Order: sequence, then structure tokens, then C-alpha cells
Amino acid sequence: MNTREYFLPQSVNEATQLLAKHGPFMLVMAGGTIAMPLINEGISFPQKVMGLRRAGLSYVTKPNGKITIGAMSTLTQMLDLKEIPILQEAAHQVGGWAIRNMGTVGGNLFAPPPAGDFAAALMALDAQLKLVSTAGARIISLTDFYTGFMTTALSPGELVTEIQVPVPTGKTAYLKYGRKHANTPAVVTVAAQIELDGEGVTNSRIALNAVGPHPIRASKAEEILSGSPLNPTTINMAASAAAEECEPFSDAIATEWYRRKMVEVYVRRTLTKITDRR
Amino acid sequence: MASKIVTFTLNGRRIEVLVKPLTTVQTLLRDQLGLTSTKAGCKQGGCGSCTVLVNGDPMMSCLLPVEDVQGQEVTTLEGITPTPGLHIIQEVFYENFAIQCGYCTPGMIMVSKALLDRNPHPGREEIIDALTGNYCRCTGYEPIIQAIEEAARRMNGNGN
Amino acid sequence: MTEEKLNVVGQSVLRRDGLGHVTGKTIFIDDINFPDMLHLKMVRSPLPHALIKGIDFTKAEKVPGFIQALTHEDVPKNIYTILCLIGVGPDEEPVLAEDKVLYKGEQIAAIVAETEDAAMEAVSKVKIDFEELPTVYDVEEALKPGTPVLKHWGTNHFVYEGHHCRRVRFGDVDKGFDESDHIIEGRYQTSPVEHAPSETTGCVARPEPDGRITVYTNTQALFFTMDNTALILGVPFQKLHFVGGTVGGGFGGKVDVIVEPIAALAAMKTGRPVKYKFTREEEMRVSSSRGAWRIYFKDGVTKDGRILARKITTYADAGAYNRHTPYAVTKHAANIAGPYNIPNVWIDAYCVYTNRQPSSAMRGFGVTPASFALEVQMDKIAETVGMDPWAIRFINAYRNGDMKPHQKVVEDATLIEVMQAAAELVGYELPEKFKKMSSLNREEA
Ligand SMILES: Cc1cc2nc3c(=O)[nH]c(=O)nc-3n(C[C@H](O)[C@H](O)[C@H](O)COP(=O)(O)OP(=O)(O)OC[C@H]3O[C@@H](n4cnc5c(N)ncnc54)[C@H](O)[C@@H]3O)c2cc1C
Repeated sequence: MNTREYFLPQSVNEATQLLAKHGPFMLVMAGGTIAMPLINEGISFPQKVMGLRRAGLSYVTKPNGKITIGAMSTLTQMLDLKEIPILQEAAHQVGGWAIRNMGTVGGNLFAPPPAGDFAAALMALDAQLKLVSTAGARIISLTDFYTGFMTTALSPGELVTEIQVPVPTGKTAYLKYGRKHANTPAVVTVAAQIELDGEGVTNSRIALNAVGPHPIRASKAEEILSGSPLNPTTINMAASAAAEECEPFSDAIATEWYRRKMVEVYVRRTLTKITDRR
Repeated sequence: MASKIVTFTLNGRRIEVLVKPLTTVQTLLRDQLGLTSTKAGCKQGGCGSCTVLVNGDPMMSCLLPVEDVQGQEVTTLEGITPTPGLHIIQEVFYENFAIQCGYCTPGMIMVSKALLDRNPHPGREEIIDALTGNYCRCTGYEPIIQAIEEAARRMNGNGN
Repeated sequence: MTEEKLNVVGQSVLRRDGLGHVTGKTIFIDDINFPDMLHLKMVRSPLPHALIKGIDFTKAEKVPGFIQALTHEDVPKNIYTILCLIGVGPDEEPVLAEDKVLYKGEQIAAIVAETEDAAMEAVSKVKIDFEELPTVYDVEEALKPGTPVLKHWGTNHFVYEGHHCRRVRFGDVDKGFDESDHIIEGRYQTSPVEHAPSETTGCVARPEPDGRITVYTNTQALFFTMDNTALILGVPFQKLHFVGGTVGGGFGGKVDVIVEPIAALAAMKTGRPVKYKFTREEEMRVSSSRGAWRIYFKDGVTKDGRILARKITTYADAGAYNRHTPYAVTKHAANIAGPYNIPNVWIDAYCVYTNRQPSSAMRGFGVTPASFALEVQMDKIAETVGMDPWAIRFINAYRNGDMKPHQKVVEDATLIEVMQAAAELVGYELPEKFKKMSSLNREEA
């Protein structure tokens, strides 16, 4: 660690100004659970670091039909979100207790796969992000936020300040599969929201993590479900479509081959869970 | 590279420390203050051996900049060890062989403390859930789980 | 018989080190610091197989806090001596790489600096000019003609007393196969396993005013390490004082002598205490692992479950260097036929080099993978013959007085008694004839 300066802005305003001033040479850090290990291990040597713990972004508010989550809210804070059980489940699936006390919702959006388990749930809920710079604010959907492996639509000088989540109108389910029961990198994570009109699916959102360069939508699977009933046949079709369209990778946790197999299994289980919840 | 003065409460005592930018709580405790009960097993947030409590919540001190705990309350194993004697949790870890090489023990005890402070009657599943961020490579966890169950019994006055 | 009064046996005795552990007062290596202590970090190969064309320390030397760089030229006897100490050669691993590297992460140069951060930063600024070489990662691939040869003696396998592998020859397997009703084959592959001790490997070496060097270390093998260090440094043993005993988990991962010689050398060169402790990533990627094994079985079995012949070809992936693997292969060869009485056995056990991280000791030392393959194979035999897996083991179990394939008479057989006890524990009702069996003798047919 040879960091020369560590800034702890007291507001978003101060944070964006610091970012405008020090530009790309300053590392932004939220909970630090991704950034600090790299610094400790001597992989990254940032000269300047800006921590966001004091910037006033650890809030959760609940205006009509929406939940707004300050980007610095911890995953532990998400465990209290009774209105959206899928977010409680997803938060509980990240790391262990201490990691959830430190890791943030905003940080999870930037987590390289196989991390990003909370982001996958947000994607299934059609979350919108508020991006703020000295030039102003804009809103972008999480699905459009990702542009590639560890690249996003965030412009230089911008911060993610808020995540806005519509309270789900459909049924949701979430499954993370790892090599251990808990505190484990994902082989695959599946988050789904299905809106049903009687038997027929009117709208579906299926998000997958750990099987692409970032959390992704299984859009072919979604198409198959749209307008169809949700039954074992359509579920199987959607599951195999998801397995085909995802872009898994091999790492120390699982091979590409295995991940693809597990996508099929876990999409099927997740959707079946939704039918069980009717 | 300007060092900064940070004030916070460590083990019940208000202290003022001078730290270089981005110094972690782990480094401060171990290398500056000589409080070496907090271990450094991975510096990746992965092993839990450096767990300390910040306002009662377990955190990985290896990932936590000292400046972030300005004004907060930090507790380490030194802070819960009475003089003389042992905290009930220490007692049961010792008596129930919930220790082997001893390296994970301080982190395990800190998490146990945070758990029992919140939940005096944790079930087995709740204990396991609380411990998932703390690795032990020797014991196989079972004696640790049993020690925490025993600690709960003793703290609730129906031990032995 | 009068009962001896025993003080410890049968009692639960509190651990002597327990109070230190629960209070956090036990002193581990990382808790040892001296005011003038320096930190050592290693420049490692980013490539699995390459020639070293040149090293440039210019930028590293400019990092504030940089003290010294050490290369193989600074090491008095630049040979990692772990097995030559017990007469197993040849010397093949340098302490610091000379003209080439054989695995990703191999030690090339040590950087000593005032702080750990400065040492890490300086390491990141060392420039090495490499010429990449073709690699080999598969044990069978490595033995084929035309693959890159890693060792100076011209092969990719260890040479056992002039032989290409550790061999066991007992009876006549071909005859045994001819007399069998079933031929049952199996291929088994294990993965490397990291010991992952909670405390990473490390030591602090401190020069004393009397000219000795004190080394505080978490090695599992204190005197072995001291002797090796003395040989590498070219100093008499009494120049070194090793202090150990507190090990934050080892499991076999802390018997390789890696950090102590170089830290002691740095202490000698700088005249100051030096700490060299692996990061977690180094512990995972560089410290030796349990090796991966590939094991082929071919068994000849009669229709009533007697194993008449067992032919095994087995390959240990030693990784780039020996460490303890040649010895593990010998143990493996002695054990892999199993605790069974088989009249015809043929074993070829290879110690193979690849461009992987070196493997070494870990709980069981070559026997664990053997047991895994062996017992899965036994189940496969039971399945093929159509017998109970318990029965197949009772029928073939060796007894005291039987001859093992490596020509040792069985003196301590316990398989039958262990299985009898296990059956009782899991509530499995054994047939009467198995309950009556004993390892001490063979019942009349
Ligand atoms: C032991 C361990 C276990 C883990 N397990 C899991 C797991 O199971 N699942 C999982 O998904 N993740 C896991 N993680 C990864 C990580 O903890 C989580 O992804 C966490 O949510 C990251 O948040 P953070 O605030 O700590 O990120 P940080 O490390 O603070 O942030 C990483 C980067 O994201 C960017 N960033 C963060 N916030 C903002 C913002 N508001 N605006 C702009 N840029 C920003 C910055 O570039 C920053 O450097 C684990 C990590 C550890 C150490």
C-alpha cells in the first residue's frame, strides 16, 4: 500500500467534486470488500482513494410503490427489507456476516462474476440506478448499466448514488448454487420475477449471475414464457433456452460445461419455486 | 502523504491515533498498538481471523480503513478478556476443545460474542450462519458450535 | 492383572496452550516484530516455463524504503536440499531461480525493504526479460517423446535406483488374469489440494550480537529446517538458533523449507532482522500442495470374489520439483494394492514432473489418493461380481503372516476388526462367518 491520500467526503456533492478534481487516478471505494483485498495483496497500488462511508448514502426510503436504496447501504441493511423477500434472500447469500456488514449494494453492482449475486436480484426487479456527477444526475436501468466484463455505462466523474427498485408486482424466486452451503462463490445464481394473469405469463424477468461477463438477462427464456402458461413443459423449455444463451466461463469454482448444465437445473428449480408459490 | 489523527473508542477507552492514508484497523491494532490478538490470516476478508466488532457488528479489520471508524466503538478480544480470568465464551472454548492451532480462535470468539449479544438463545442453524465467514482448518467446527451452545446456556444461568 | 493408576489416559486434559489461544496471547510468527525489522517479498515468475534473460532492479531500487535485492548469486549453496539430507537425490531445485523457471510463481529474487508495503511495491517494479518455453501439464503427456524435457538428466520422471519408476513385482499377474472370471479396470484422477493453514508460512530471522542467527519460524519440522538452512547458507549448524513450536495449522504444508534459508540469508546480508511471510495468495499458489494423482487399476477376480491379480500404473504429479514427492511415491507404491491378500501384483508408480506448482507432503503422504482409488475400485469389483461390498473386503482381507506385494510380512493387520466395529456402529448386520473372522489367523477352508 503506497496510497498517498485517502479522502472521506461528507456528502455526495463533496464526493463528486473530489472525483472531478482527481479524476481517473483516484480509486472509489464503498465497503472495500473488493477493493481492499487487491490493495493488501499488492495487486493494485492506488495513489489516491476516496471512501464513501461518510457520504450520506446509507439510507433506505420507501416512497409509493418503490424502494430507494442509498448506494452505501450494506447488505446487512437489506436483510430488513420485508417488502421484498427476494432482496432479503439475495443479501443473505452474499459472503458471511462480517462481509455483509461491510459490503454495499452499490459495490455489488461492480462485483466481477462470479460475485454480483445481489445485483442479479436487482436486475430481475428491473432496478434503476441514479448516477450523479458534478454535471448532474441521470437514471439508467441496471440492465443497460453493464457494457462488458468489468465495464459499465458509468462515465468518468460519475458515482452510483441510489438504486431504485419497484416493489415487485409479480412472483419472485431466487436460488444461488455454490460449492458450499454458504459464503461461497456462485456456480450460478438465478433470480426471477414472473407476472401471471391467471395461468398465463404476462411478463417475465430472469436474471443470471456467474454465467456471463456480468449479471445478464435470459431473454430467450423470457420470450418462451411470455404469453405461455407456466407449467413443467414451458419451464423446461425456458431452462434449456437459458442454458443455451448464457455465456459461462471456467474458473476455480466450476467449468464452463458444468455451469451451463447447472443453469438449466437452477432456472428450472427457480421457476418451479414460483409455481409452488401460487 | 499526510498522516491523519483519528479518534475512536477502542475497548472502552477513547484513543487518538496517527495513521497513514488507508491504514487498516488490522494494521493499526497489530503493528502500531501491539494488540496482536486480532490475526491476519488472509488480508482478503476471506478467513475471519481478524474479525473485530464495530459498534457491536462483526467486521473484517483487514478491509477497514482506520479513518472510517472515526467516532465509532471498536472491540477486540483484548477488550472482552476480563482481568483476571476469562469471559464465559473464552471459558467454554477452552474447556470444550473448540481450539486447536489457535489462529482462528480470536475471530471465532468475537463473532460468538456479537451473536450472543443479539441473540441469547441461538439455535444450531443460527450459530452456523453466524460463523460462515470464519474459517477453522483444524477442528471441523463441531466443537466450536457446541462451545457456543454451552456459552449460551451458561450466560443464561443454566450451565453445568 | 492389577490396574495401573493412570493420570492422563482416559481423562480429558485441558490443552496447555489453550489459555493463550482463547485470550489471543499466543505468539505466532506475525506477532513477532523488532523495531529495526525489515520485510522480504519475493519476485516470482509470471510464467510457467521460461528462460531468464535478464533482471533489471533499477526501478525497484528507487522505491522509498528499498534496501537490497538478492538473487541466486547471493545464495552460498543455491540448492534446495530437502531430500539430499536423507540421501535422496539428485539436486534439482534452486533456492532462487538461475537461468530458468519451471512453474508460475517460482522464486527468482528477494527484495528486502523497510516496510512490507515498500517491499511489495519494489517487487512490482522489477523487470525480468523472459524467453517463454513450451509447457507440459499432464503426467502422461510428460512421459511421451517430444514433450519439453524439464530435468537436466533428460527425462520428466524421477529415477529410482536406475529405474523409470518405483516398481513392485509379486507373483505373475498375467497368469492371475488368465485364471480369473472377470477383468475389472478403472481410471482414477485426484486433484491437487491446498492445505490452507489459517496462518500462512513465515519466519523472522534475527542476527544476534554473538554472530548467530535466531530464526523464529512456524515450520512443522524445526530441526530438519535448521539443518537445511545451514547447508544452504554454508554455515555450521551451531551458527543457527531455531525457535518454533507454535504452528497456525500445517497439515504437511509447513514441512518444505522455503522461507527460512532466504530470510536468514537476508538477515546475514543486512545485519537486521528480516520477516518473510507468505501472503494468502502465495500460500495458495506457491506453497506446495497435495499432488494430483492418476491411477489405473486392472484387477483379475474370480466369480466368488477372490482377487487373483492386480496390475496398477500410477502417476504422481510432482509439479516442477521433487520436494517430498519421490518419497510419497514410494509410500504410495507400498500401499496401493491395499490391505488385501492378492497373490499376483504388478505396480509401476511414477514420480512425474510438469510445469505445475510443486506438490509435497499432505496428510497421508501419497497414501490418501491411493486409498481413494483403491476403495472405489473395490466397490466396482463388488458391483461387477454381484457381491456385497462388505463381503468383497472380508474375503480378500489380509491376515497376519500373509506376504505383502512389496515383500513384507503382515504383522499388524486390523482390517477385519475395523470392519466388524464399523458394521456395529452403523447398525449393519454382518453374516456370522464375517463376525467370526480374525486378523490373527486364517480360518480352515
Ligand atoms: C470473503 C468474501 C466473500 C464474498 N462473497 C460474495 C458473494 O457471495 N456474492 C457476491 O456477490 N459478492 C461477494 N463478495 C464480494 C463483495 O463483498 C460484494 O460484491 C460487495 O457487495 C461489494 O461491495 P463493496 O461496497 O465492498 O465494494 P467495493 O470494494 O467498495 O467496491 C468495488 C469497486 O466498485 C466501484 N464502486 C463501488 N461503489 C460505487 C459507487 N457507489 N459508485 C461508483 N463506483 C462504485 C469502485 O470502483 C470500487 O472500487 C465477497 C467478498 C469477500 C471478501
